Amino acid sequence: MSSVAVEIVDVHKSFGETRALRGASLLARTGEIHAIVGENGSGKSTLAKIASGVILPDSGRISVLGMTPRNPVEAIAAGVATIYQEMMLAEELSIWENLFAGSDPTWRRRRTNAQKRGEAREILSRLADCPIDPDTRVADLSLSVKQWVVIARALVQKPKVLIFDESSAALDLEATNRLHEEMRALRAAGTAVLIVTHRIAELVKIADVATVLRDGETVGRLERAEITEGNILQLMSAAPGHSARGRIVQATTGGEVLAARGLRLRAGARPVEFRLRAGQIVGLAGLEGAGQAEFIAALAGIAPPAEGEVFAPSGRIDGLRGADAAGIAYVSGDRKREGIFPNLSIFENFGMALYGRSRRMFGLLDDAADEMAFRREVDRLGIKFGRAGDRITTLSGGNQQKVLIARAFALSPKVILLNDPTRGVDIGTKQALWRQLREFADAGGAVVYLSTEIEEFFDFVDRACVFFDGSIFEEVPAAEIGEERLLAAMFGQSGVKAFDRGRGDDAHPMMEGAA
Amino acid sequence: MTAETLARLGKGEERRIMVGAALLVALFALASAMVEGFASSNNVKSILLLASFLGLAALGQTMVALVGGLDLSIPFVIGASNILLAALFGTSLPPVLAILVIAALGAGIGFLNGVLSFRIQGQALILTLGVGFAAVGAAQIVTTLGSQYSGTVFSQVPAWFSNLASISGTTFGIPFPPVVLIWAAIAGVMIFWIRRTRSGRHVYAVGGNRTSAARLSISERRVWIKTYTLSGLMSAVTGMLLLGFSGGGFVGVGDPFLFTTVAAVVVGGTSLLGGAGGYGATIIGVLILQVLTSFLVGMGLNYAAQQTVFGLLILPMVALYARLPHVRNQI
Amino acid sequence: MLFHVPPSLRHLVVPAALVAVLLLVAVIRAPMTFTPVGLAGAVLVAAPLILAAMALTPIAMAGRGGVDLSVGPAIGFINVTIVMWLPALGIASPLGVFAYAIGMGILWQVMLAALIIWLRIAPIIAALAGYMILSGVNLVILPRPGGIAPDWLASWSFGTELFGPVLWILIGACVVWALFTRMVLFDHMRLMGADERTAYTVGIDIVTARLAAHVMAGVFIGLGAVCLTGLIGSGDPTQGNTLTLQAVTALVLGGTSLAGGRGGIAGSILGAVAMWLVFVVLSSFNFGAISGFMTQMVFGLILTASLLLSLFTGRVRARTA
Repeated sequence: MSSVAVEIVDVHKSFGETRALRGASLLARTGEIHAIVGENGSGKSTLAKIASGVILPDSGRISVLGMTPRNPVEAIAAGVATIYQEMMLAEELSIWENLFAGSDPTWRRRRTNAQKRGEAREILSRLADCPIDPDTRVADLSLSVKQWVVIARALVQKPKVLIFDESSAALDLEATNRLHEEMRALRAAGTAVLIVTHRIAELVKIADVATVLRDGETVGRLERAEITEGNILQLMSAAPGHSARGRIVQATTGGEVLAARGLRLRAGARPVEFRLRAGQIVGLAGLEGAGQAEFIAALAGIAPPAEGEVFAPSGRIDGLRGADAAGIAYVSGDRKREGIFPNLSIFENFGMALYGRSRRMFGLLDDAADEMAFRREVDRLGIKFGRAGDRITTLSGGNQQKVLIARAFALSPKVILLNDPTRGVDIGTKQALWRQLREFADAGGAVVYLSTEIEEFFDFVDRACVFFDGSIFEEVPAAEIGEERLLAAMFGQSGVKAFDRGRGDDAHPMMEGAA
Repeated sequence: MTAETLARLGKGEERRIMVGAALLVALFALASAMVEGFASSNNVKSILLLASFLGLAALGQTMVALVGGLDLSIPFVIGASNILLAALFGTSLPPVLAILVIAALGAGIGFLNGVLSFRIQGQALILTLGVGFAAVGAAQIVTTLGSQYSGTVFSQVPAWFSNLASISGTTFGIPFPPVVLIWAAIAGVMIFWIRRTRSGRHVYAVGGNRTSAARLSISERRVWIKTYTLSGLMSAVTGMLLLGFSGGGFVGVGDPFLFTTVAAVVVGGTSLLGGAGGYGATIIGVLILQVLTSFLVGMGLNYAAQQTVFGLLILPMVALYARLPHVRNQI
Repeated sequence: MLFHVPPSLRHLVVPAALVAVLLLVAVIRAPMTFTPVGLAGAVLVAAPLILAAMALTPIAMAGRGGVDLSVGPAIGFINVTIVMWLPALGIASPLGVFAYAIGMGILWQVMLAALIIWLRIAPIIAALAGYMILSGVNLVILPRPGGIAPDWLASWSFGTELFGPVLWILIGACVVWALFTRMVLFDHMRLMGADERTAYTVGIDIVTARLAAHVMAGVFIGLGAVCLTGLIGSGDPTQGNTLTLQAVTALVLGGTSLAGGRGGIAGSILGAVAMWLVFVVLSSFNFGAISGFMTQMVFGLILTASLLLSLFTGRVRARTA
């Protein structure tokens, strides 16, 4: 007989002017895998952090294993382990120190260092499916092993409630499967596993119960067979029957606008040859670390490749300024790190990119021109804000992204490079963006679109360049784009079915040939 | 829409300046009530005169703070410029040239600070401490070689130069020290530059998010070095003007400015974390500090006691404007 | 290197090499320093600096870019008050003086810690404010060097035995630190310094961890003040100010990461010894009127150079593209 593990009733939370939660509720029982799903801005991450004790709600009732955690110390003492969206690791310390961080209470040692080392080696080698030296510095690890360290840290706590906040992002599909196995084992042992995710396809496979959030409140609760993509999407978006897909538009293409020749992204990788024509939208896909991120950085002029060159019609592109001069705009989905200026206003975040274009002397700002451009782009992209002079941090993640994209458009570029721009962005904004990019391409622009979610490529890109092992493995034309085909290519298999997506199956990807 | 673009100032800075101005007025009123002759024209002139020195020195500190650094070499560059200019006045070099040489030297030290500290980020202020210390040591060695007085240099200061900075100085016949107007002019140019030009806005961009700035081809390195060079230049200018004020070179003349420039920046409301605030705010901070100093002197507190008071003042101001967010809000 | 250095000791390579080189030069230039009597005097002179550098270490390790600039004036404060306040209170015994010094050191550090923990003022700013406040207060309490330390303490400056009280204090301080490193609190402090968010989310009590760092610093500051008082035999309100620069240089030279997490006391001690050796070497040249300025310039250059060097060895969080 299962009991209530986490009960959250009508909780409200505001961050300054942003209302993150307005009456969200949740009921999770022991021995179940419970998904918390919603667009970004729906408040799901905030809800998870409240259950972890990191965030204190403004009002509402919280009961986690019978108590209300006011900080992580209390939550952990009650038996809650959390794996956060951002990997909580001390990069300069070793694996075992990170793995067992916080495992000793302040005035007593539970394990000796030798024990910690041994256990760390054991558990990680099992999870990562390869031998791991526990003395390795975390900074030297790959993203996926780092993710395993954080997951292992939670597992050794033998928690009664385990919360995953978007934590399969860094794991490739094969590793995600192993993670799902661990989750099922925990469920069998009676742990309540909460997963916060927007990957609908994933949660459909694994969740027993799903709580759907929209705009900070709970709009639905689905159980077992009710958990389908259609039901979830319907609850998540305001308008019924919202399709996740864009439209297929056949476009005529123009001259070559961007090319990469002999591009070696890292030592020993196969050289990449790439050609982009006006009117094309090209998608970049691949498992984490396959090279697509380095490729787009090379195209943008941000990080030069190990070898090879990038060309525009005007000539060789040398660095960021060269790319800018050649009409190449770069938009990143990692807004907080390389996008916005949190101290500046919405208008100035937009305008900062345009200041260089001012024709006035001494670098004087051209208000009239900047304002006109701002108004135009706000209309085009439908950016919602209070006043242009408000800080950009008052905007939701989706609107912030719109501002960043708006300023790229305002530069009248020939090519737009987008690096996972819809990370944490709601479905409505995503679709608006795809529409905008299609229009841009139809008008003669060219788009390179990197995404970590292959669903985005369907009915949107003209072709998908799938990266594998540091180079383009295959270029899949629009007509042949399908989930299995792309996944296979990501594993270095051409045209072979690599993944069985049945619900609850312990499916394994084919290992032969995959490096 | 135009009102909104004028909101480049940002709601935050407007409020800070309002609060600062209110504080200034309140402080002045209190002091006038408690100290005889506080509101006299002579005292006000003296406050403004001393404020000019602090204002010029704090200009560099403000710029550096906006990109998230601090310049602790200011007192040393002031002292070094002070004695070096005095020494140069004693040579056959034309005074104007001497001034330009020292100014260039100050800018050079600032440039060195910027170049060397660029990659060190958070501990950049310690590097400036080291550079400043080395610079003032070197300056004293240079001025002492061949002289028997160490640390104090006597020489001929041209009359027009003393006039610039002395309390009885006149500007084209008006009994007002020219240095105040020099400060006002420089302040005007500075504020205009930082609000209305691209390179000025770049300072805020870099102070706000370095990586985002880099993505827009804004050279963080250039901005960083510019601010430190400016600070070095302003320190040299302050040191030189102080020579006009006191008449004799003295290496310790810069020492108070270590505390007071940081205090002025902080009290004015510029965040030491970078990206927020500005020179307008610092000017208010400077005036508050100078009125406070005059007040404390009038109340009989000596220099050491004043120093203590300033240190104590910094804390609540930083607590107001430059508190780090709680770690739970950084997750 | 000819032999393999384990990663945990790698940060000691530079300071150890520096000390070795300087030692060579110092032995050649100032052999008198290395007689038993000379060394006794050396320990006496170097002790305040060594303890000041040791005090800086836990605070730097605790993270948030904490460099306690107030360490010099704090030592000066305790020195000045030992000479000015304690006689009036009738406290002159060794126990009383030590208890006062350590207690006051801890009190000061806990006050700073409170600003950092609860008001969340950046540690380096709190320290800067502390520096200002205390250097002013020191001058208010004692405008000019003067006063007399208790007899037993003043007699230290005449000491000629190497294994005198000062050396025992240093050894004791190291023992205290060694005990501290065995505590879970130390691990917590290190993790917090390496990444505070991680420490918070894994349930570490970051308040206690940071307080522990500051308490340790307070102990060393107290001991350093006692040694300083023993060295000069009286009170000096401005001695402490130069101590800050030297101690910070020693800390940086010693390889402790200013960004937090890594480092240790051995490096800071080596750094302090290196600084003292520089002083010895400089003193051995006859610079005459400019000798003070020479020292000033050289210290400034060493601080600058060691900071830049630490950039290459990764002890300072360099800006990343």
